[in-house]
Amino acid sequence: MDAHQLIVCRCEEVSLAELMETAEAYPCSARELKLRTRAGMGCCGGRTCRVLVDQVIEKVTGQTPSHSVPLGYQPPVRPLSFQLMGGRNK
Amino acid sequence: MIDALIIGAGPAGLSAAIACAKQDLSVVVIDEFYRAGGRLLGQLHQEPDGTWWNGIEEALRLDREARALGVDIRCGVSVYDVSRTPGGWNVSTTAGKMETPLLLIATGASETAVPVPGWTLPGVMSIGAAQVMTNVQRVRVGERGVVIGVNILSVAIARELQLAGIQIDRMILPPASSITGNAGLPEEVMRALLRVAHLAPSPLLRWGSRFMHSHWMQSLAVRLYPSRGFPMWDIPIQLRTAALEIVGKAQVEGVRIAQITPDGQPIFGTEQLIPADFVCIAGGLSPLAELAAIAGCPFAYVPSLGGHVPIHNDQMQTALPGLFVAGNITGVESAKVAMAQGKVAGLSMAHARGALTDLSPLTDAIRDVKAVRQRATIQFHPDIDDGRALVEKLALAP
Ligand SMILES: Cc1cc2nc3c(=O)[nH]c(=O)nc-3n(C[C@H](O)[C@H](O)[C@H](O)COP(=O)(O)OP(=O)(O)OC[C@H]3O[C@@H](n4cnc5c(N)ncnc54)[C@H](O)[C@@H]3O)c2cc1C
Repeated sequence: MDAHQLIVCRCEEVSLAELMETAEAYPCSARELKLRTRAGMGCCGGRTCRVLVDQVIEKVTGQTPSHSVPLGYQPPVRPLSFQLMGGRNK
Repeated sequence: MIDALIIGAGPAGLSAAIACAKQDLSVVVIDEFYRAGGRLLGQLHQEPDGTWWNGIEEALRLDREARALGVDIRCGVSVYDVSRTPGGWNVSTTAGKMETPLLLIATGASETAVPVPGWTLPGVMSIGAAQVMTNVQRVRVGERGVVIGVNILSVAIARELQLAGIQIDRMILPPASSITGNAGLPEEVMRALLRVAHLAPSPLLRWGSRFMHSHWMQSLAVRLYPSRGFPMWDIPIQLRTAALEIVGKAQVEGVRIAQITPDGQPIFGTEQLIPADFVCIAGGLSPLAELAAIAGCPFAYVPSLGGHVPIHNDQMQTALPGLFVAGNITGVESAKVAMAQGKVAGLSMAHARGALTDLSPLTDAIRDVKAVRQRATIQFHPDIDDGRALVEKLALAP
């Protein structure tokens, strides 16, 4: 089942197989796994796959989560329109 | 100038707003949903004493009470950033920026996904989405559904769908994988389910509780578990069956299932395709702490509370000046606990503004949170008390 091409991050179309292989090739942090695969870096900000990326790292490297949040959050935490960021309507 | 800004109009945020407003604070509540009430809006279940818990009515009651006290509730507005200012907090919303001396984050919990092959097909949704469509939006999610993931939440919501006349064909487990954790292991699922035995008058629970005396008996129970499952309110709960794949061309047409061993491995030759036009996936819940993380709150990782939670004391204050938290962001618990915590946060904020001359309402409210927790019908985790104690200890540490 782990080898299955099942999509974990929909925004960036990253599969479970790709996450598992990357985590095995580079025993790394959840943040590095995110940067290598782009899982969690799409327009939704990782709202669905964030926990799954953490779980892959936990499973592959045996790192148990520490008290600090593994994948940091950056504003904006919601998708915004350019207009809201100061753009013009026309 | 307002005294307090509250993010989240769920039971915690609304109860906090009411408590502040009663002490004459000027309060604004912001929520991104189009209606106040948070997760209360989807809730409908029967308590062991036979009475019904109707979340929509509770939400209306809180909303009315808050508005009558002058609370300004703004729905359909999302908060996307918070930052500290010398005198308090700057909050960026889709309706502009706001300044406030005191900020309460009461954003609740979010569902955790369990990926199953085929889960990107239209017609697959989280169990919480099915709950909102059924109980809030009154939209029929489908004719015949399969629930993947058996836990207290999915059992409660399957019952709600059934009450709305929607057929749930069966409830089964997700395929065991690196990212399904305990949700794909029959024995773990059974143990978790038996803790909620009082909620469902079901032969499964009566049968299972006889085995719960020892670990060895529990393993035996899972080995003896009948493959057709036990019905709970006539919905077959099949702990020895897993979904291998959700299938369909342009939308869900069925689920490929197989019987599984007690440790979650599919048994060769038992595969079967069952028809379905919708599938609900039920993972767990975890505190929605994104804004507290951006604010710079110190966190604690506490599995019994659902994951990472902002560290706070029993008055619901965080380590950052003027920043408070309440409700499921501090740990996944039932709506009644969220309300009790909200009241504490509201009184704490009133105290911080110098509006509370007598502290006894605050001490009473803190005591009340513990009492409500003891009586709670829905317990999301057996070790909640230990988790709470750990967070309080961390809050006291220098
Ligand atoms: C799918 C689901 C089903 C549940 N079912 C039950 C049940 O049957 N019984 C039970 O006792 N408990 C249930 N719970 C637990 C539930 O979380 C609590 O009962 C209770 O609703 C928690 O209250 P709260 O005020 O902390 O958060 P919530 O009720 O979740 O309210 C939080 C509010 O914050 C808003 N919000 C979040 N982020 C932002 C933002 N950035 N900007 C603006 N607004 C924001 C949300 O829109 C939401 O309205 C369920 C939880 C979920 C997720």
